[in-house]
Amino acid sequence: MAVIATARPGGPPSLVARISRNPWTGFLFRRLVSLAIILLALAFATFSMVRLIPGDPALNIAGIGATPEQLDAIHHQLGIDQPLLVQLVTYFTNLLHGDLGSSFVTKQPVTEVIQTRISNSLQLAGASLLLVMLVSIPGGMLAGAITREGRHPRGEVAFTALTSIIGALPEYLMATFLAFLFAVEIRLLPVAGAEGPQSLVLPALAVSLRPIAVLLRIVRVETLNVLAQDYIRTARSKRLPQRLIYLRHTLPNVVTAALTVGGILFAALIGSAVVVETVFARPGLGTSLVNAVLARDYPVIQGDVLVLGVTVVVVNAIVDILLAAVDPRSLTRKG
Amino acid sequence: MLGVAAIVLIALVAVVAPFFLAHAASAFDVLQANQNPSREHLLGTDQLGRDLLTRIIVATRLSVGLALAATAIGAGIGVPLGAITAVLPQRPRMVVQRAIDSLLAFPAIIVAIFVGAIIGPGALGATLGVGISLSFAFARVASTLALSIGGREYVVAARVVGVNAARRFLRYILPNIAETMIIQTTVAVSNSIVFVSALSFLGLGVQAPQFDWGRMLTEGVQAFYLTPAAALGPAVAIAISALAFGFAGEAMARAMNPLLWGSGELAPVERASATSLGPMPELQVARPRLLATNGSNGHAEGPPAHPALEVEDLYVTFPSAGGQVDVVAGVSFTVAKGETLGIVGESGSGKTMTAMAIAQLTPYPGTVKGTIRLDGQALSELSAGQLNKFLSIDLAVVFQDPMSSLNPALKIGTQLTEGAEVHRGLSHKQATQTAVARLREVNIPTPERQLQRHPHEFSGGMRQRAMIAMGLMNNPALLIADEPTTALDVTIQAQIMDLLARINVDHEAAIVFISHNLALVRQSCHRVVVMYAGRIVEEIPSDRLLIDPLHPYTRALIAAVPDMLRSPDEPLAYIPGSAPDLADLPSGCPFHPRCPLAVDKCRSRRPPLEERATGRRVACWVANEDVD
Repeated sequence: MAVIATARPGGPPSLVARISRNPWTGFLFRRLVSLAIILLALAFATFSMVRLIPGDPALNIAGIGATPEQLDAIHHQLGIDQPLLVQLVTYFTNLLHGDLGSSFVTKQPVTEVIQTRISNSLQLAGASLLLVMLVSIPGGMLAGAITREGRHPRGEVAFTALTSIIGALPEYLMATFLAFLFAVEIRLLPVAGAEGPQSLVLPALAVSLRPIAVLLRIVRVETLNVLAQDYIRTARSKRLPQRLIYLRHTLPNVVTAALTVGGILFAALIGSAVVVETVFARPGLGTSLVNAVLARDYPVIQGDVLVLGVTVVVVNAIVDILLAAVDPRSLTRKG
Repeated sequence: MLGVAAIVLIALVAVVAPFFLAHAASAFDVLQANQNPSREHLLGTDQLGRDLLTRIIVATRLSVGLALAATAIGAGIGVPLGAITAVLPQRPRMVVQRAIDSLLAFPAIIVAIFVGAIIGPGALGATLGVGISLSFAFARVASTLALSIGGREYVVAARVVGVNAARRFLRYILPNIAETMIIQTTVAVSNSIVFVSALSFLGLGVQAPQFDWGRMLTEGVQAFYLTPAAALGPAVAIAISALAFGFAGEAMARAMNPLLWGSGELAPVERASATSLGPMPELQVARPRLLATNGSNGHAEGPPAHPALEVEDLYVTFPSAGGQVDVVAGVSFTVAKGETLGIVGESGSGKTMTAMAIAQLTPYPGTVKGTIRLDGQALSELSAGQLNKFLSIDLAVVFQDPMSSLNPALKIGTQLTEGAEVHRGLSHKQATQTAVARLREVNIPTPERQLQRHPHEFSGGMRQRAMIAMGLMNNPALLIADEPTTALDVTIQAQIMDLLARINVDHEAAIVFISHNLALVRQSCHRVVVMYAGRIVEEIPSDRLLIDPLHPYTRALIAAVPDMLRSPDEPLAYIPGSAPDLADLPSGCPFHPRCPLAVDKCRSRRPPLEERATGRRVACWVANEDVD
């Protein structure tokens, strides 16, 4: 918008035309539309949640001995005493005003609950993502360079075996093993809480080991593919130093593939973080969500799911845009 | 195999164990609470003194059972949802597919927790939650399969001949999707075990007094400091069963579709006769057999004192199942400055391997022997660093396929300038100026603008011209063009050939032109070398090529060139037989099984390459006898 506004009538006549002809315009437009649709669907899903609960949700909350007055109060709080359409409008209106209701348990506004916890979760997810990318991309490329064209076949077997086993272990088992190792055996790092950066180490390891293994394999295979391309032979025919062949000619093409999978991995990583937070008693959105489900604290469940869902959707959109920046061909591709 | 065996064992335990051990698993003895592993209790006891190993074994039924139920729910929802896309019209189908894709983007565990929150914590909520979260993947696979199989020719053909829908589904579609669905299901069971246990672990799944592995893990973690085995035991059980189903699925997938699921290893070079360049070139320093008498330039005999390229006794060898195979065997030739030498031959004749050996780009695991002298300098005498610098400046290669030979991720400008910047120490500005000049030379309009573009914005002809411009950046003494026009339109071919001819004159660069196109070689080269089975069989000036070719193979090649003037009724000429297997060459002259003139001598003794005149050599008993 800001760019279009600068196109004064007397200015260069081509600016609007240039924007509309730029492949980025259509691409970003398509991306934004699908982003909006998915966000709407997500909000609708959280709205439907309370309405889909079999039986009377108020009974779940207040218990069987509740008086009709108590039940009515809960109905009112949940907004389910209104006609469905009114409920829907109210829900979306409140959402737009940033009002997600209040916790049944603590009476705290849900937005406050989320605000106090989101940074712990973001730190965990961010640190894990960083760890995954920093280990997998160089590691996978190195493994690919070492095993290219069938070199070191035994190394390849060991690599594949190790990464498949680690890649099959779910994060909560990883977390349990790590907690055992560090709580019982080594006692070097804290295994609970969110005090200081050391408390981040074990949860981040638990979350990222599996995606690291998965991405390592993908990056290695992708590196083999790229190294077998004609354009790498061209680069070698120019006698470029290995540094340029790997960093300039191989890396961008490998990163494209790694990013494509990286988006999916990051979504899974947010899921893992929810579980791992509970293992390490880290006060984040994950622990909040799990406790809310156990306490049937519906407004908090709605809020947490909404925030986690929006994060996933937004990250996927960012990955798509990054991909387009790295690989300009994907701009014109549909999808 | 191991995975399948483990699955059978797990199934057996799940079915049988509870009958015998259910009672023992709940028998508590508070006096024995929280014990560490002992002979009596192999994994120790929990906080109520129950034997942990017994409980883990008994819990197999509930853990695996819930996982199977969740998988069934996932398949039950997902498969019909996905399969339905095959019968939907275009637009609704797109909508459903996009919806499935969007749902797949959400982490399964959060979807499962969300569904579990609606149903309420418990085994039912967990199973339904995991089932629904898995259904999206099932839907995706089913949709892909249904669309690809439903449209295949044999299914369409079956419909055309009147096979009814039910029979079509049973006979043609089901067998084809069954394989993939079995794999998908096995992997889904593995995920299910992990997710259901995760929910139980979080307290959202199985509730006491029932117990599955996830529930036991939670209880174990609470007693971590007292009895670590209480947590590690169920953790190992989950890990082993998840791995068993996961590996079994992957093994099945690998067995059914080795191409798609292979871990990316490239097939070893089995038959080195596949001379078309292998997957990847590798920098290799030639290890020459030093011919003592011919070591220095001064002794070198022959027409120009200082040819652009001298190749002496070149061997390129690949390991194969039956030993070492020479794909190039003792090739020697020279190219003068400003000369264009054509190398022709069928695929597998060793022409490309010869060129790649000269450029030090022989693919792994090939090895090179022989002497290569470029602009008077023996390559073997240079250190690795010197060699890189020397080759980058004195030699350029133009490859066959311009569509794949330029890096799609880098701007044309970067690809043109980087070599000169690295090896000649030019500043980026200087290198860019040279690049602009070279692009102009190869008739690319507005070169400054083109430098900022990516290869995908170029046409095929433009890319090949950019490749040539790249080769000219450092004014090389030798340009190797490996079938530079094969991938291009005929009209573009002529432009590229004109361009090469001009470079030959303007830059005084020698050109080695590799082609299977005899007509093209005759027009554009001064001299032609014909290769067969890794050896030179004839060398001939191109103006003599049509007049008096001596080798029967050369004549056969010429006869096989299609001719516009030939009557359409006349059968096309071809060379009988096929190119020889380099690992198992015929005795004597390798061409004799296909040669119309072969005599006894040809079958027993290999003819030497005899020099008949300057620039005229032939390796043929019959041809050389005619003269003698």
